[in-house]
Amino acid sequence: MNEKKILKELEDIVGKDFASNRSEDLYIYSQDPGASIPRPANFVVMPNSPKEVQDILRLANREKVPIVPMGGGLTLSGLVIPVKGGIVMDMKRMNKILEINELSRFALVEAGVTSGQLLAYLNENHPRLQPPIPDAPPSVTIAGNALIHGSGYLSQRFGDHGSMINGLEVVLPDGELYKLGSCAVSDYWFTRGPIPDFIGLFISSFGTIGVITKLSIKLFPKPKMRAIVFGLCKDPNILPELISNITFTDIAEDILLGIQDKPDWMKGYTFIIVYITGESEEELNNKTKILKKMYRKGKSRYMKVPKRIEDIFLEKPQFAAKAADFRKGGGFEYVGAYIPLQLIPEIIKIGIDISLKHGIVPTLGARLIGQGHAAMFFISYSFNRADPKDMKNAREALHETNNAVLEIGGIPWKAEVEGQQLILEKMDPNYKKLLKSIKNLLDPNGIMNPGNWEVK
Amino acid sequence: MTLKSEQDWKDIVHRCFRCGYCKFTYDYSDFNCPSYKKFRFETYSTGGRLWLIYGLISDEISWSQDVANVLYACSTCGNCSENCRFDKFNDLLVDIIEAARAEAVEKGFCPEKQKALIERTENPEMYNPYGEQNSDNENLKKEYNLPDKAEWVYYIGCTSNYRQKNLRDATLRFLKKANIDFTLIDEHCCCSPVMRTGQINSVKDFISYNIAQINHAGASKVITSCAGCYRTLKKDWLKYGADYAFQIYHTVELLNELLDEGKLKFQSEYNKTVTYHDPCHLGRHMGIYEVPREVYKQIPGIKLVEMKRNRENAWCCGAGGGVKIGYLEWSVEVSKERLEEAKKTGASVISSVCPFCRTNLSDANDKFDMNFEVIDLIEIIDKLDFEITDTRH
Repeated sequence: MNEKKILKELEDIVGKDFASNRSEDLYIYSQDPGASIPRPANFVVMPNSPKEVQDILRLANREKVPIVPMGGGLTLSGLVIPVKGGIVMDMKRMNKILEINELSRFALVEAGVTSGQLLAYLNENHPRLQPPIPDAPPSVTIAGNALIHGSGYLSQRFGDHGSMINGLEVVLPDGELYKLGSCAVSDYWFTRGPIPDFIGLFISSFGTIGVITKLSIKLFPKPKMRAIVFGLCKDPNILPELISNITFTDIAEDILLGIQDKPDWMKGYTFIIVYITGESEEELNNKTKILKKMYRKGKSRYMKVPKRIEDIFLEKPQFAAKAADFRKGGGFEYVGAYIPLQLIPEIIKIGIDISLKHGIVPTLGARLIGQGHAAMFFISYSFNRADPKDMKNAREALHETNNAVLEIGGIPWKAEVEGQQLILEKMDPNYKKLLKSIKNLLDPNGIMNPGNWEVK
Repeated sequence: MTLKSEQDWKDIVHRCFRCGYCKFTYDYSDFNCPSYKKFRFETYSTGGRLWLIYGLISDEISWSQDVANVLYACSTCGNCSENCRFDKFNDLLVDIIEAARAEAVEKGFCPEKQKALIERTENPEMYNPYGEQNSDNENLKKEYNLPDKAEWVYYIGCTSNYRQKNLRDATLRFLKKANIDFTLIDEHCCCSPVMRTGQINSVKDFISYNIAQINHAGASKVITSCAGCYRTLKKDWLKYGADYAFQIYHTVELLNELLDEGKLKFQSEYNKTVTYHDPCHLGRHMGIYEVPREVYKQIPGIKLVEMKRNRENAWCCGAGGGVKIGYLEWSVEVSKERLEEAKKTGASVISSVCPFCRTNLSDANDKFDMNFEVIDLIEIIDKLDFEITDTRH
């Protein structure tokens, strides 16, 4: 690789200020806040238009240099760490909100628009609408989250955020720009169909197929009022049915579960956090009554919590990153397993056992997805970033958890490279064959985030 | 106070998760970190800087001029501290960056432009970062007929004394009219610019000298019209182990006190729409947001309007942290953004209580023909008729 020549070309494309191979930039872009081992990047580049992305991909394809597209860089599972070096493409200069369609309820955004930016923009300009945003910090991108099958607000009612994508504009390694979804036919980015749906190829493929430059995502009506009805459950075995029953009532906007050994009083319980919405206090009260009754009937208890606690959960986005500071160590990573509801008791046991085995305080939880069709169940391991042994311990715990999740029938979400290999090992051979064929067809030189989803 | 001499830093820098809250305003509507907004690489967010600092501490990366330049491309405005969500860590972010700068100086990586600050400040002919002949303020004492000893010392500060003399003179006139028993000292730099840029070797000598001068004047109170001096005297001097018994006031605090007690009564009007720019050194660094607003609101005729980003979320003027001297063009661009925000309020006047902000906002106003009147609060008051009664302080 002629680094000098490539840097010069990158500078010609994006301008001198936005292409770098300076050691300090490479240091930052060679790692992420999770437990993965850093891998050196050769360049960092920040394009400002689809045309610049096209030119960079043509350059990378010609020179056979890996490209790693990056949004907020906060998957924690190393998906933007350049496993085989190359160019990290930070998309955050492409940060324009291009359209909000109030009537058909979608936002058309560039790939670098952050969840905080879209949330604030809607609050100010379209207060009747709310976006699907993850529990991650506001610096994550809308595109990045949706493209990893992200979940978060509104996932229980409307599904994972990947399913909320109406359309994509993508650049493939050949440097061509493709429109996917209704935008391929119409000026409106309002739906994925009714044409052959290629959008799924780009979801959870972690940048191994192409670079997304624009995305249309569904927006949803924002209710006047939101509240939380907390429940407490001692026996995990009753959770699948209880949660399923709650989803039957159609009153829950979102449902979370929380299991923690610290502080001590939380140990041994599962906290059920049900978000309800309404147009009036009366409506909220009625829904609260229904839930209280369901908790009682479901051998659980309604739990009154102080307003300040409720407010913490009502904050958008939630400050989930606080887990990084549990041990004042600056790091945490989790296995977020997509599981069917019936596996909840089993995965709780797995999470607690593996945490204790590795000397980590059990911190588990879940988000319900799609009216009870699935749960994203996370098992979180905090670590001290300044202690390599502690980070190794967390990596081992993550690996064991990935294995255990796959064994019981769940699937690790946004799995790190090692986790992806575990999934591939268990994957139907013909699915793998198809994956490899598509990848080879669209990215014959293997420049797109190589190392990820590598079918060996 | 360098990274390695302060065990505390070593033990906590890695707590930064690089979640990115530090880049935003409180409602995420905009990036509020001037450095990140300009340079855009993650390296230039506070999280990026802290990770670089951790890399330096843990020897994962080595010191270089480029690394030092990243540390210096920050106005230390404190937006990161305001929006970082990690309690008992967020307060330290700016201190950590300044400690890293001190280490850069120690290792010989202080950028050339910023070096001028210490060369001038330590020069016995100057004792100020502007390279001006030191004023012992004797002429001003004569001009204003000030005693050698008094209850108050007006600590003018280098920016007002050498660059914003109108602000200085307005303050002097006000203190005289208000019958405040005050004097001036042969002051040397408070050391804010050199502290902010990590050039701290002689800081303690400067502090001791200034404290001795104030004590010699017999003062029990020190008043300053500079937000930077105010922060430095009240916060940094103590951090450097200073022991003093006098109280520190910003002029705006005295004004507010006089108004509250009914001792200051305005007799003319200022019929203009004014927007107030919170100086970082008074706002985020010292938590004073409402006091200046209370004073503006009591000026007859004034219409005070707020910019979208105000108080804890104010956009920095871009002059602090050595940015004005190190990155002149960018520094003025930052002020331009502030003026554009001010334009949206309909104000014709942008006012602050800091000579440093005044300088940078004025520079942007002139450079980009923004047609504002940029003026300090004390200069507004200087234009007004007012009556003072019973101001024995």
